[in-house]
Amino acid sequence: MKSEKKKNIIATLLTIAGFLLVWQLVSMAVDNAAFLPKASVIVLEFFKTFVNPVGKYTMTMHILISLYRVGVAFILATLVGIMMGVGMGYSKLVEAILYPLFEIIRPIPPLAWIPMSILWFGLGDASKFFIIFLGSFSFITLNTYDGTKNVDRELIGAARMLGASERQVFFKVVLPSSVPYIFAGLQIAVTAGWSSVVGAEMVRSDEGVGWLIVMGMNKGNTIQIMVGMLAIGIIGFLLAQLTTLVERRLLAWNDQ
Amino acid sequence: MERSVKESVLKVENVSKIFSREEGSFGQKKLVENHVIDQVTFDVYENEFLVIFGPGQSGKTTLLKMMAGLEKVTDGIIEFGQKKISGPNPQLGFVYQSIALFPWLTVMENVEFGPKVKGEGKVERREKAQHYIELVGLGGFEERYPAQLSGGMKQRVGIARAYANNPKILLMDEPFGALDAQTRYMMEAEIQKIWQKEKRTVVFVTNNIEEALFLADRIILLTNCPTKIKSEYHVSLPHPRSYVDKEFLKLRQEITNNMDRTL
Repeated sequence: MKSEKKKNIIATLLTIAGFLLVWQLVSMAVDNAAFLPKASVIVLEFFKTFVNPVGKYTMTMHILISLYRVGVAFILATLVGIMMGVGMGYSKLVEAILYPLFEIIRPIPPLAWIPMSILWFGLGDASKFFIIFLGSFSFITLNTYDGTKNVDRELIGAARMLGASERQVFFKVVLPSSVPYIFAGLQIAVTAGWSSVVGAEMVRSDEGVGWLIVMGMNKGNTIQIMVGMLAIGIIGFLLAQLTTLVERRLLAWNDQ
Repeated sequence: MERSVKESVLKVENVSKIFSREEGSFGQKKLVENHVIDQVTFDVYENEFLVIFGPGQSGKTTLLKMMAGLEKVTDGIIEFGQKKISGPNPQLGFVYQSIALFPWLTVMENVEFGPKVKGEGKVERREKAQHYIELVGLGGFEERYPAQLSGGMKQRVGIARAYANNPKILLMDEPFGALDAQTRYMMEAEIQKIWQKEKRTVVFVTNNIEEALFLADRIILLTNCPTKIKSEYHVSLPHPRSYVDKEFLKLRQEITNNMDRTL
């Protein structure tokens, strides 16, 4: 078991090393830094940005600011998503009221909301929260909805037979049995929310990893664009890992 | 006779069940009716171990769920303590074939669920739950989650959970149906032992003749669907019974001969 785990980690590291190596070779063959910068240059620049500020801040600050925006939006998305999902899954009436509207709003990409969000929320953080929120809440809603709908009828029956009231059935059976679904939704939503940070920071800003890319584009700075992309990728990976870790902790019972 | 002196605790009177659903596509919908139970009448007596036994296709589970209030009757009346059953009643305990433990709760939390939703204090309900966990032989497993238990152990938790709610009648729906033969024999002996220690009225549904004869004071034999009562047997063999006892085998043959065949 242990040695198999080790083997898998080595395989992962080898893939990443191989990917960087191929990139390096191709970029050396292309030999055009504005078109395709060398992998080594991007990685080196990436580390440098933690020391040398880009714009007003160093990379650490850019990441923290973006994380703050995603964090606020994600908490809102979680609250709204769980409430909507549970409501639609539990009550036919709520489902009839919300579901069609939800399905109409869902396919509109977060980027399409940018103009309206500036109109409604201005150029500050509020419009960024709004866009990231839109990029993540639907996943939480859908998964929660699914979970609430799929509660084992026998578990509800068992709780009723043991004397649980309607309210107790909801809080002690329906909600907890939806938790694995909710977490599956959170897992997708955290990644989706984080990836909409670029779009959100396209709305006038002076900081954030999304801003690095937008600014790089405006200045024609390919390396800065790719450094921003790398930062988004790495942080996104870490966020997904963190969610999995929290899920494992909280859902020990679900670990067959 | 002794039975006539015993008090009836639950009455099933002329109960029928018809499941109906719409079938077919637009324009040519039709109502399909499935007549499952047909005018069944019987009593359940205090502290008896009643086995409802029937072929695979009989409506045994439906009948039991109606007695529990988990399923509505189409016709007839089921009375428990002079009152008509109209919904789940915590004075009736139900043990599922699927066991239906709450997977996010530990053994202890599952067993104390009933007392807890009724608002019993922590110390009191823990003590009660502990008693039944030990009664079913699961002492030491209180903090385990259902996923960490074997099938037989899970069903022990299901039984302890039903007992801890202190029901007047325990309704058991093929509780050992999903267990392997070995575990099943063990659980049958176990449930008898538990029943001897903590007398309750038990209504036990099964499609296994050996199980029926091993456990029952009285067996109600059902027909195929639409289900009626075919006959009734009183089993007075002493416990613990042997599966190869002469009397046991004779009764087994008699009941088997009288049973409807299913494909």
